[in-house]
Amino acid sequence: MRLTRRAFWLLPLLALPLPLVLNQYYQYVVNLILVYVLVGVGFNIVVGNLGQLAFSNVAFFGIGAYASAILTTKLGMPWWLTVIPAGLIGALAGCAASIPALRGVRLFYLAIMTLAFGELMRWSYIRTPVLTGGSMGLSVPPAEVLGWTLTRDDQKFYVFLFIVVVVVVCTNRILESRIGRAFQAIKNDEKAAAAMAIATSRYFLLAFALSGFVVGIGGAMYAALVGHLSPEAFDLVQLIQQFAIIMVGGLGSLAGSVLGAILITATPEIFRDWPGFEELMFGVVIVLVIMFLPRGLVSLLARIHPVFKDRFYQDD
Amino acid sequence: MSKFDSRLRAALVAFLVAALPAAGAQERGVTDTSIKIGALGPFTGKAALFNPLNYGSIAYMRYVNDMGGVWGRKFDIVLGDSACAEAKGIAAAKKLIFDDQAFMILGNPCSGVAMAIKPTLIQENVVWSGVSANPRIDGSVGSGGDGPPPKYMFHTTPNGYFSGLTMGKFMMTKPGAKRIAFVAHTNDWARGYCDPAKEYIEANGGEVVLDTAMERGSTDATAQVLQIKAQNVDGILGCLYQPELVVLLKDAHKYQLGVPVIGALGADFGQTVQQVGNPDAVNGVFFQGHLYKDKIGAPSLEWARQILVKYLTKDELPSDGEPTHFYYFGMFNGIGVVEGFRRAGRELTRDTYIKAVETLNDFDTNLGAGRVTITADQHIGVSNMFFNGLDEKGNEVIFTAYGKPLH
Amino acid sequence: MLALLPQLLVSGIAIGMLYALIALSMTILYRATTVVNFGHGDLVMVAAYLLTIFAVNATLPFVPALLLSVAVLFAFGFLLHRAFIWPIIRGPHLSLAMMAIAVGYSVRGLVRLEYGQEAVRMPRPFAEKIFFVNNVVITLDEIAFCVVVLVMLVASYVVFSKTRFGRIVQAMFQTQRGASLVGINVMQYNNVIWGVGCALGALGGVLLGLILILDPDVGAWTLLRGFAAMTLGGFGSLHGAVVGGLLIGVLEKVLGTYVSTAFIDITCYLVIIVVLLIRPRGLFGQHATLRV
Repeated sequence: MRLTRRAFWLLPLLALPLPLVLNQYYQYVVNLILVYVLVGVGFNIVVGNLGQLAFSNVAFFGIGAYASAILTTKLGMPWWLTVIPAGLIGALAGCAASIPALRGVRLFYLAIMTLAFGELMRWSYIRTPVLTGGSMGLSVPPAEVLGWTLTRDDQKFYVFLFIVVVVVVCTNRILESRIGRAFQAIKNDEKAAAAMAIATSRYFLLAFALSGFVVGIGGAMYAALVGHLSPEAFDLVQLIQQFAIIMVGGLGSLAGSVLGAILITATPEIFRDWPGFEELMFGVVIVLVIMFLPRGLVSLLARIHPVFKDRFYQDD
Repeated sequence: MSKFDSRLRAALVAFLVAALPAAGAQERGVTDTSIKIGALGPFTGKAALFNPLNYGSIAYMRYVNDMGGVWGRKFDIVLGDSACAEAKGIAAAKKLIFDDQAFMILGNPCSGVAMAIKPTLIQENVVWSGVSANPRIDGSVGSGGDGPPPKYMFHTTPNGYFSGLTMGKFMMTKPGAKRIAFVAHTNDWARGYCDPAKEYIEANGGEVVLDTAMERGSTDATAQVLQIKAQNVDGILGCLYQPELVVLLKDAHKYQLGVPVIGALGADFGQTVQQVGNPDAVNGVFFQGHLYKDKIGAPSLEWARQILVKYLTKDELPSDGEPTHFYYFGMFNGIGVVEGFRRAGRELTRDTYIKAVETLNDFDTNLGAGRVTITADQHIGVSNMFFNGLDEKGNEVIFTAYGKPLH
Repeated sequence: MLALLPQLLVSGIAIGMLYALIALSMTILYRATTVVNFGHGDLVMVAAYLLTIFAVNATLPFVPALLLSVAVLFAFGFLLHRAFIWPIIRGPHLSLAMMAIAVGYSVRGLVRLEYGQEAVRMPRPFAEKIFFVNNVVITLDEIAFCVVVLVMLVASYVVFSKTRFGRIVQAMFQTQRGASLVGINVMQYNNVIWGVGCALGALGGVLLGLILILDPDVGAWTLLRGFAAMTLGGFGSLHGAVVGGLLIGVLEKVLGTYVSTAFIDITCYLVIIVVLLIRPRGLFGQHATLRV
């Protein structure tokens, strides 16, 4: 247990000297991994911890990214001041996405509905050119942190790492608290949870909002990293990629989200010399994981060392 | 602590000293015998249809290599898959720049990716030449941008601004043309063509009565065509990819619209005509921007076809082995790029190269409809194109303006 | 503009027939295994490519090529269930959804690898023809859509309510456990039903291939239309799927023409959201929400 806690600080510490050995290409990939760590962690709250089939994550991601970009380009706010607002707007979107769930929509119905919500958001980015630049996209100026402009990937790395550590540690605290246990109870048996006087609808709202917050911050980081937002970046392909992160990493596991983000972001880079195989590879990898490692790759690591064993990780 | 500091400093100095000669002695990506070129393209993803644009320039460079290269150097081409997605495209571009140490990037047809990598290209002073439509990439005052062009980025073909402008001009040369409708995808590619066309039409006495959306994958254009029909228009500009352009043409015929439909450069003319499958739906009705000096398949372009067929593998060519318009488009770009290397001479740096490119003046590629002129203030080399069309008998005709055949 | 309404109804119903067929094929799968096949769109798409390969590369005439591609999709559906869905059928719904998505995604990747860089036209069995009824235009393709889908609807109605096979399937829909207790080989039946569902989807893909140029991404687009039709009609209802498909076809045309073409693409999303918020069981479905 203590080791698990320490991992939150040790791993980032080990990552600190990375910019010394990486060129900007690898550094960029590492930064992208950090963005996807938050995307995975946030996504996992609703899907892995609460156990709901919600496909709205790309919407939260896009909303966070656009919120940050619009605040910087239209209101002239420095990027670092937009990170929390982007998370809050993402949380608001999470609340909106939880409405069908609060009304009792579950399983495939919820999946289809949240899928529609995500696509509707993409349409909204196209249809509000005044704010989002429409289909031409929105170019974001280099991110600014406390008067310091982040133009290089190694600079972004330290800022991102800081944000990711803070958000992941806080998320972990919440998931280890009563709230997290309530999520788990709802996942295991919603009716039983309700019978035990757990206010299920309140926890639904909370889980979606938290998920939206974390992913929204990931979106703000994406805006700073990529610098150009276009509606097509937040499509169904992005959704499948985000699903791959939590499925391959491990559902309901923080370590799994991190592992998934690393693997799903880095693997295509390794196979760059064989362009065209990515979709096929993605599909096959997900199939294999579901067939043979339903708890994700993290379950393999958990056998080796308990650091990777989350509190809510169940070996069944 | 101080001990650690000094050691760190020593390590850094050692690192820099080791790194310096690589950076200073010779230009990145250039050796005595080779020039490293990164070809960034959508090998995967929903714009893979446009990847042949890359193969056109690659084929021409392989041909030049076979002829002995330029000033003793051969092109060493590295592929990069952008998947037409910004995050992936940046990774691909950074790999080409920082890992493969490419001298130049042959640009991505996907404008979103090109916009996303632009800051890196500028920061690292990488030479870029591409065929993206978005005028904001390397356009300047007079070619859709605002301000001077980015120093090392250029087009040796028309960008979306000039292509769109030419589409608008062509439309307005139709006698009596006034009320024009648009049908466009909701992406930056389509806006890259349609917006300048709209601007031109409105500035030249025309009226854009409708600007309708048609999404990718649409099975029919009933709503668009019926709306247009109710407006009594004189012509339609379709900024659409090939699958949707075919659907639009079929439905325009089905609902007897009877007005010209002018397509952007997102489709192959011959294939589109063939895939519509109905001469009545295209003869005298369908026109499309045409970048080349004659129709594809004409004897005067046979040399280009020979190069494409000879220097591309079976996998790189379409399944029937016949290069489409996109391959020639890419080659158009490749010829201008290679001419820059010829003019730059033996002392190749990015500065001598871009200076050489800026000497291109009325340069005849022997392929393109327009000649290439690049100056320090204008990095879009070509500003005009012809149009394809079909006469009453279904023969392909090249037009310089509406109703004015080339031959 | 009101004069356009008959035309919109006719072409809306015709394209709605296609949505109906896709929704119908998904409903059949759903009735058997209560699993929604999220990869269905990609299988629909691949059928049109298969027909093209059989007809152009293997130079088969249209009908054998059609039958062959439907047969291949039947086998594919059969194997998909047997090898990938059945082993995890007791697992979480998420795994089932993702499994189907992943298989579809791999198929799409494979198609893109081969055909991603060119626009492919599926061969046609008959020349295109246009008919005029008063001022309303109707194409031969549209008539073909209506005929094929109505025949398929009647056929599936007969199979599912008049035959022993259909009654067993109905029993499995009620309770798989009960069905297996009375000696039904549930797995084998479900294999066949997945085969049938995919074969029907294949037919939808071939119809789709008549009217558009093939593109590996058509799948995702079809899937959402199918979902919307199923949602509107009510999950699990065969005639609901058809009615839902027709309504969405018409609604797309009407919204697109009278409001804005920008609405064509989101009609199906709006339908899904509105129906699930207001009447989650759709027009003819059974309970769809959880009461806690």
